[in-house]
Amino acid sequence: MSIYKHTYRAYTGKVTPIRARILAIARYGLAEAWSAKFTTVLFVICLVPLVGFLFTIYLSNNPAARLLMGNAGSRVLIIDGSFFLKVLTTQSWMAMALASWIAPRLITLDLVDNALPILLSHPISRFGYVLGKYVALFATLSTVTWVPCLLLFAYQGYISPVPWAASNVRIAFGMLTGAVIWIALISLLGLALSSWVKWRIVATGVIFAAILVPAGVGAIVTGVLRTRWGFLLNLPVMMSSLWDRLLGVQGHMDHLTQLPTAAIVTMLALTCCLSIVMLNARIRAREVVRG
Amino acid sequence: MGTIELDALEVRLGGRTILNGLSGVLRGQAIGLLGPNGAGKSTLINTLLGFHRASSGTARIFGLDTYRDRAQIRSGIGYMPENDSFIGNMSGVRFVRFMAELAGLPSAEALERAHEALFYVGLGEVRYRKVNSYSLGMKQLIKLAQALAHGPRLLILDEPTNGLDPIARQRMIQLIQEIRKEGSVRLLISSHLLRDIDETCDEVLILKGGRIADLCNIEEERRSNRSFMELETVGATETFSVSIRGLGCECACFPGGRIKLVLPEHIEARDLYRIASEQKVQIRRMHVRRDSLEDIFLRAMDSEGERSAHVHL
Repeated sequence: MSIYKHTYRAYTGKVTPIRARILAIARYGLAEAWSAKFTTVLFVICLVPLVGFLFTIYLSNNPAARLLMGNAGSRVLIIDGSFFLKVLTTQSWMAMALASWIAPRLITLDLVDNALPILLSHPISRFGYVLGKYVALFATLSTVTWVPCLLLFAYQGYISPVPWAASNVRIAFGMLTGAVIWIALISLLGLALSSWVKWRIVATGVIFAAILVPAGVGAIVTGVLRTRWGFLLNLPVMMSSLWDRLLGVQGHMDHLTQLPTAAIVTMLALTCCLSIVMLNARIRAREVVRG
Repeated sequence: MGTIELDALEVRLGGRTILNGLSGVLRGQAIGLLGPNGAGKSTLINTLLGFHRASSGTARIFGLDTYRDRAQIRSGIGYMPENDSFIGNMSGVRFVRFMAELAGLPSAEALERAHEALFYVGLGEVRYRKVNSYSLGMKQLIKLAQALAHGPRLLILDEPTNGLDPIARQRMIQLIQEIRKEGSVRLLISSHLLRDIDETCDEVLILKGGRIADLCNIEEERRSNRSFMELETVGATETFSVSIRGLGCECACFPGGRIKLVLPEHIEARDLYRIASEQKVQIRRMHVRRDSLEDIFLRAMDSEGERSAHVHL
């Protein structure tokens, strides 16, 4: 083909490897997600708490500020595992809000426009397609979770007058692991639920409902049957408990739930597996033109 | 090696046999895929694209197994689905570029080819508009553009003229004819419209009830019928018919000077003109009857039961 001649010519140039096509899915997915102004607004809102946390770290390491705050300052301005647990928890729920907005934009539009037959007729598999979308969502959520968490940790390590980072490496590792588990889970859950709902706004609600409704049911089970196992349906409680353990913090959650780590991990793994099954079923059903 | 090779291909979906023992080698530059609703056309296309696995037998494109080597095959195929299938929120050029990148073109080349493909199909002026604002005809054309952008070896067009007005249909047919003429792309065109296949294809595969009802080369089929002729004459028709019988032609006379005849192989039309001239008979009209695709299709539908399962050209 040639624009000025309007004739067809075959392509004889080089061809990219498969991984480049997965990245193309991710790149175009990201562009689609960020084409909405609300995404930018939401992203900025997600970063607002970090400014507060950053300021807190600054104040805690500023002798003048500590002096001004007196006894209250020494209680409030302690930078330890509990502080970073607050950072992680806050950012994780911010990521949840961002995921519930972005995930439907990544996958619902393709399904509504019936784009899968044309997308998957190219040399990319169902797995490659989902992986591309997953990478796009995971990358976005990373920018509001473990990346700023680790940056705050690095700042505290840098600004602290005493050697701090080396003796608190477990906090950094815990934040990284906890955030990655959380965003891996909500990315999969978000994509799976979005693939089953036609309208984006409804999909956003469904993602929240999928977290909160089982949590309510779990609380009822726990209350009525007086068993801790009801908390296995409560994703927020399970994650808080897991984060406590990863950061080495004795949180109040553990006393209430006392769920074994293996049970929490198994439940999270089951949720991921269920999400994968849902995604596979939906995409497989829509990949060909029926006729 | 044929473009598409089917060897006792059987595809079962949901416990039902959709394609049943298809065998044949398709070698044409442009292959038409015909059949009534439910004949298995879409299933065959999906099988060729590697979406369905053969329950038994094999299907090959350019010698590669359609399921096992589907990634390799898909990089050499351009597919234009029947229904609306696009990302409506993207501009035309961005959509075609995305599809070209998925087919394996580097980003810069994909952009260049996207512009070229859109100009080629006639969407150059609207390439920055969002796809969901396109008319039905434009949507058909952008599906063709994305199928062409990466320079495929085989172009699979599923109902390419579906829903098009006569002018848009003519444009689409012209494009397909140009692509065929260019020669580097093989075409597989599925259509309900016999006329579309007739105008664009040189070989046709007719399916009925998941089986091959006919597989024939349209041109050869027509050539085999070239000896049928109809004449309209003025003058001594009876004497003229006697004379041409003398040449070895079978003929029948009808009122109004009409004669139908079958020419033997060694007799040419000029022999008829010579006899007519000698006998002062005017030949006002000479029509060489060609089997239309409709005749072939209807015959295939009627005689499908008598046909053997294995067909080879």
